[in-house]
Parts: sequence; structure tokens; C-alpha cells
Amino acid sequence: MAETFISERNLKFLLYEVFTITDLTGYPYYEDHSQEVFDMVLDAAMKLSKDLLLPVFEEMDKNQPEFVDGQIKVHPRVGEFMRAAGEGGWINANYSYDAGGQQLPLTVTLAAHFIFSAANYSASVYPLLTSGAARLIESFGTEEMKEKYFARMFSGEWQGTMAMTEPQAGSSLSDITTLAEPTDNGYYNMKGQKIFISAADHDGVDNVIHLMLAKIKDAPPGVRGISLFVVPKQRIDENGKLEFNDVHVSGIYHKLGYRGSPIVQLSLGDNGDCRGYLVGEPHKGLTYMFQLMNEARIDVGLGAAAIASAAYYAALEYTRVRPQGRRLTDKDPTLPQVPIIEHADVKRMLLFQRSIIEGSLSLLFQCSQYADYEKVLTGEERKRYSLLLDLLTPVAKSYPSEMAILSVSQGLQCLGGYGYCDEFPLEQYYRDVRIHPIHEGTTGIHGITLLGRNITMQKGRAYKVYLEEVHKTIQSAGEYPALQSQTRELGEALDVLNDVTQHLVGFAQEGKVGLFLADSTLYLELFGIICVAWQWLKQAITIRKALEHNLSGAEADFYNGKNYAFRYFFDYELPKISGLAKTLKKSSGITLAMTDHLFTD
Amino acid sequence: MNIVACVKQVPDTEALIKVKPDGSGIEEGGIKWVMNPYDEFGVEEALKLKEKLGGEVTVVSVGPARTMETIRTALAMGAEKGIHIDDPALYNADAYTTANALAAAIKEIPYDIIFCGQRAIDGDMGQVGSILAELLDIPQCTIVTKLDVGDGKATAVKPIEGAQLVLETSLPCVITAQKGLNEPRYASLPGIMKAKKKPVDVKNAAALGISVEPKAKIEKMTPPPARPPGKIIEGEDPAAKAAEVIRLLREEAKVI
Repeated sequence: MAETFISERNLKFLLYEVFTITDLTGYPYYEDHSQEVFDMVLDAAMKLSKDLLLPVFEEMDKNQPEFVDGQIKVHPRVGEFMRAAGEGGWINANYSYDAGGQQLPLTVTLAAHFIFSAANYSASVYPLLTSGAARLIESFGTEEMKEKYFARMFSGEWQGTMAMTEPQAGSSLSDITTLAEPTDNGYYNMKGQKIFISAADHDGVDNVIHLMLAKIKDAPPGVRGISLFVVPKQRIDENGKLEFNDVHVSGIYHKLGYRGSPIVQLSLGDNGDCRGYLVGEPHKGLTYMFQLMNEARIDVGLGAAAIASAAYYAALEYTRVRPQGRRLTDKDPTLPQVPIIEHADVKRMLLFQRSIIEGSLSLLFQCSQYADYEKVLTGEERKRYSLLLDLLTPVAKSYPSEMAILSVSQGLQCLGGYGYCDEFPLEQYYRDVRIHPIHEGTTGIHGITLLGRNITMQKGRAYKVYLEEVHKTIQSAGEYPALQSQTRELGEALDVLNDVTQHLVGFAQEGKVGLFLADSTLYLELFGIICVAWQWLKQAITIRKALEHNLSGAEADFYNGKNYAFRYFFDYELPKISGLAKTLKKSSGITLAMTDHLFTD
Repeated sequence: MNIVACVKQVPDTEALIKVKPDGSGIEEGGIKWVMNPYDEFGVEEALKLKEKLGGEVTVVSVGPARTMETIRTALAMGAEKGIHIDDPALYNADAYTTANALAAAIKEIPYDIIFCGQRAIDGDMGQVGSILAELLDIPQCTIVTKLDVGDGKATAVKPIEGAQLVLETSLPCVITAQKGLNEPRYASLPGIMKAKKKPVDVKNAAALGISVEPKAKIEKMTPPPARPPGKIIEGEDPAAKAAEVIRLLREEAKVI
């Protein structure tokens, strides 16, 4: 298996050169940090990944979690990694000092997650889920809850989850039926079923704390009747002892990939003794949960890019050592075969992967940078970053998720028949990466969110601010003659985006909601390609600045290699928007017109 | 207890090493630098000893500015302070000159026990720890896989071929750490934040009053000769192929 799974050089290029994250240290909240600290954080993440995560990447796939005697048994490394993540301070790394964290910028935290996820995606999610669940308690819970749960969640002894989905309510969360009946004792009696809950039970931890959506008895119907609860697997009694809280595992799903992490079905209150503790105010659960989900969505995009990165390096290694065929110009069949990386089509596949991975990563760091500035700025500036983050979250989740599948597929293709066999890791990456367009909101849902909500919110203000940001990059790039054609092409792409957006929003204004949203997934795709082109142009400016210096050796290779990936994106990926724009402008409505019975034969 | 851990910054084992065209050393561009893995065992043992008996751990290293990253890593693991001997005349120093610089710096501070890695994975000399002990005129236990310290003495286990030696020595002494001594801890994020504020003294050769004249000099580095390509024996008949293998082993490789 390939030793390399990410490019540290590229991570540092994005963090320090493109996004200049050390600028954050000028704000009091981040003032204790420095590039030296960030470098050490990345080194520590690399070390943990190489020692604990990478060595069990295949093993955790082959020995997937099993439901035995009422409990889920996972690979023993899960518990070890949870403890290491706890001791290392990774679970609450970007929490405030007050909450025991290190006030690490989200961008650096994400860079570390990228490393963990590329080494072993399944293992990486356990501490991440705990971190997210604790975040809900931090934001909306009581001091008593923090006191009860934080220490052992942050130490990795207890697992956190977000428990939303039910058999009849997946994408349609307003249809959940888990019931919370008030009592006079400060808690609610919970009853219901939850499915597809990640890490909802396992023997690598001593307890599981579910952050769960449920409906309080007689709550209003729809999303306005959903509340958020803490539901521990084992609750803490008056004497501080753990006692079973009537949270039962009723099953485990066996999945295509991402097999090292269990997806569990839970049954609550079978014996009428499951206690839930209300977080925040009644009926505001979904609003609260969306805070967590938005963070989690960036992480999902990141996980997809990370898996694609590991697949790319596995493919790259193979293409350098696998001799097949000869150069098209070599006619002599007795000549030795050349490594397949010599062939243009193989280089095309490798460049495709790089352009997707590094473009996606840039977009993800762009979003986390907005989140980091949101934390330290005030007033109009802060609002601007919030709007941008809100607008781009569905794109940062979906573009990497969808494109990483194609990227890994091309990585697998580089290995030919071997790519399809389990002696090489590509087939596992291919299975692992498939989850991402599904969890944390499907691509379809995000298409509707982007077009139906984000583009039009506040009379299109977020969209307007976004265009301003892209234009800033176009303006800066205009100063470099070498970037002339790509600068022009991105400008033209924005014209296409505006044209399509106006066309579709026109349907909304006419009340034709069906036509407005029927192809919103395609709109998301178009938006995503242009957004990543923007990120590539941004990177290209930094590349040009570096190439102005007289570089040699590994540094020159790095920037020249990146420059090809940049050019590839503009020559091969950006043109794809023409076809999408044509379909979107046509708005033929055939998906609205087609009916159920016509699908039969 | 005053504990000293000597560390060296070396290229990561995964780094692609290229010899400079003039053979004077290796190309340093694009190399990732890490703490010598054997020194990590030394740092870990130093920290465990401090946790058991109290006291503090001082990390000492010789090397250019980037060496500070390795000192900070040891501080992030839990050491209290550092000494960075930074002098261009010592950047490619031989084992003796390095040990001499370390000894000079260590003489200036109180010490009860000194840890070194049993060797560094770059130059692979395995001499610095022993020379350091000689220069300080204290006992040494080398290539140690188990250590007990208490009552003013150290008991160390050193594996030798087919057996193991149990060595007992008075303090202060030098211990050189071998794989198996412990499992080095990871630098934690709170540790990293704290490391930034811990004191590191930077000294040059003049400040230490030492000679930088080497006893040994690297004349030239050359990469190992390229491995000749393998040979695939073609044919349908396994017996004939086996016979051909035997013929080649006998006549070409001359090993049977």
C-alpha cells in the first residue's frame, strides 16, 4: 500500500500561501497561535495517522463491526484512537479555552481532519462525531450538561452522535415521530426508533451520548415541532453512577464501504425508561441541529477530497512502476516497455484527480476561513462572511462528494484490472467514497437548498456578495499576463451563471416552483464547477507569484506541477458548464412531465 | 531529578534522499525533518522518569535553525526547557565534535541522567552517546531496552546476541535508548501550545568555548550502485525453467 496519502506541501501552500491563515493570529482570539504551532499540529496529525490509522485501513474494512449480544463490536483500534484523540486534545481542538479547547482555527483543524480522513476515513469519524455532538451542548445546552458530559466526551471515553434519521423520515425530517413526553422530574420520557446513526453504539467507548431530534407530545406539526435532546445510552444517576437508559441497539447495517464505522438502528424506551434532557428551547431543535450539520457538511466534503487524495497517491505510485506499451513515436517492438505514466491518457487521468482534489480542498479552506473570520469580526464584515459561508456550504459539501467518486474511479482506472481487485486499495477507496453524496443531506437536497433558498435569500444578497468575491480574484489575476485566458474564461463563466440564475429565478417569480427547482441538482453542478474554477484562479495567482522567483529542485517542481493542474481544470473541466447551461436554459420540464407508470417498461 | 535528553533532527525515513552532485552531502530541499526515532525513545524515558521521581527534563540539540522544530516537539511532549547549539561550523559535525558540543552545554547545567538515542538514522554512527559519557567522565549503558532508576543508581537491560545483560551503574550516567524501551507519546495540542512558551537557550561554539575542529571528515558521498535489473525466465515447462534457474545461480551469480 502507498505510504503517501496526502501532500503536506500542498496543505501548507493552501494554508500559508493562498489563505495566509497566520493573519488570524493578529486577532486576540487566535493570538497564541503561530505558523510554528500550526506546523506542529500538522506533524502531530501525520504521526497519529501513520502510526494508528493507516496500518488498519484495510483491516477495518475486512473486519467490519458486528452486532453481538446486544452490543456493537468494533475494531480494537477504534478505542485506542478515541483515547489518543482525547489525550491529544483533538476532540475539542477548536473549542474555546473556557471549554478546555485550544482555540485552534477551523482551517487548521480541517487540515488535520483531512490528514486523518485520508489515512483511514472510517476511523477518523469517531472523534469528529463526538466533537460535533459536544458542540451542540456547548452552544445550546445548560452548564450542568457541560459539566456532566464534556470531560468524558473530550477525553474520548464517551462517544457523541447526532441522531436524526428515522425509518420514515430521512431527507424529510419534519416527519420524525420519536416522542418526548414531559415529566415533572426535569426530563422527558423518550420513545421511538432511529436508523442510520453513525457510531451510535460500540465497545470502543464506555458510553454514548446521543444528540437526538424528537417531538414533544402535542408539538405543532412539521419542522416547527422538532426539539433537541441529550439522550445518553447510560445516564448518570444521583450518585454519579452510570445506569442503563433504555437505549437499545436493534440492528446494524452492512454497507458498501466506509465499513469501519457502524451505522446503527436504535430503539428508545422499550421498557418505558428512556430519559431525554431538552437542549435549549422546545421546538427549536432543527435550527440548532443545522448549526452542527453545516459544520459537518464541510467535513463531509473534506472526507471525500481526502479519500480521493489517498486514491490519487496510490494510483500515482502504480503508474510510475507499471510498464505497459511504448511511446506512440517508438515503432520498435523490441524496445523495453515504458511506465504507463508516460502515456498522455494516463497523465490526463492523474491531472483530472489533482484538479478535483486540490480545487475542492481550496474551496473547503475558503469556507473554513470564512468561519474563522466570522468568529473574530463584527458588524457588516462579519455578516458578509456569514452570508458567504451559508451560500457556499452546499457547494463545498456536494462538489467534492460527487467529484471525488469520479476522481477515485479514474484512480482505479489507472491500475486497470488490478484496480478492480482487493490486492490494491483502490477498490476500497471507491466503495468508501460513495457515501458522501448521501450523508449530511443528499446532493438533491443541497441543490434545492442552493437554488431554492440560498440564491434568493435576502433578495439575492449572498449571491451578490459571492459575485463580488469572484470578481476580486478576477481583478487580481488580471495583473498577470500568463493568466489572461483563464481570467477571461472565468469572467465568461460568471456571465453564464448569471444568465442561468436569472432564467431560473424567473420561474420562481412567476410562481412556477416545479420548473424553478426541477433541475436544481444540475444548477448545483454548474455552480460548483465555476466555484472551483474561482478557487483554481486564486491558487494560480499564488503560483505565479512563486514562479517569479528563481526556483529550483523540488520547489520548482511543486509550482510547475500545480500550474498544470490549474490549466487542466480550465481546459477540461470548466468547459463542461456549456452543456449544463444549455440544459438548464431549455427547462424542458420532462422530469416534471414523466409519470410513475411510464417508467414500468 | 535533573534529566537531560539529547535529540537530533534527521530526514524523515520516507524522504527521498539525493546526494549533491559534488558529493559534499545530501540535497536538503523538499526534505521533511523529524526527531531521530531512537532519540524519541530517550525523550519518552526521560519524561517517564520525571513523572515517577519528579524533577525536570532539558532537551539539548545541535543543528541549524530548523532544529528548533525538533526541540519544540520534545517540549510539546512534556520536556521543560531546551538548549539549541546553533553554529554553522557544527552543522555537519562528526560524532566527536557533536558530543563535545553537547558535553560543553550539559556541563553548564545540573544533570543526574542523560538520554541519547543509540544511533541516529541519518549518519548511522552510533558514537555520540558513548563519546559524551567519556567527555563527562561518567558511566554509560548503551542500547538499553529496559531501565529502572532509584536509590541513586540505574539498572539497565541491554540485549546481546542470544542473551541480555543486566547492567547496574551509579548516577549520573548516559543511557542510549534502543527500540523496545518504551512507546513514545504523541505531542498533544495543549502540549504544543505550552511548548511555544517554554524557554530555549540558543548558544554557539564561542559561547560554549569549544573547538569545532573535526576528528573525522566526510570526503565524499556517493549513492549505492543501482541494482541490476531482474531476469524473468520464459518458458512453458517448469522443470526446464527450474534447471535454467540453477544454471544461472551456478554460472552467473556463482552462489551455488
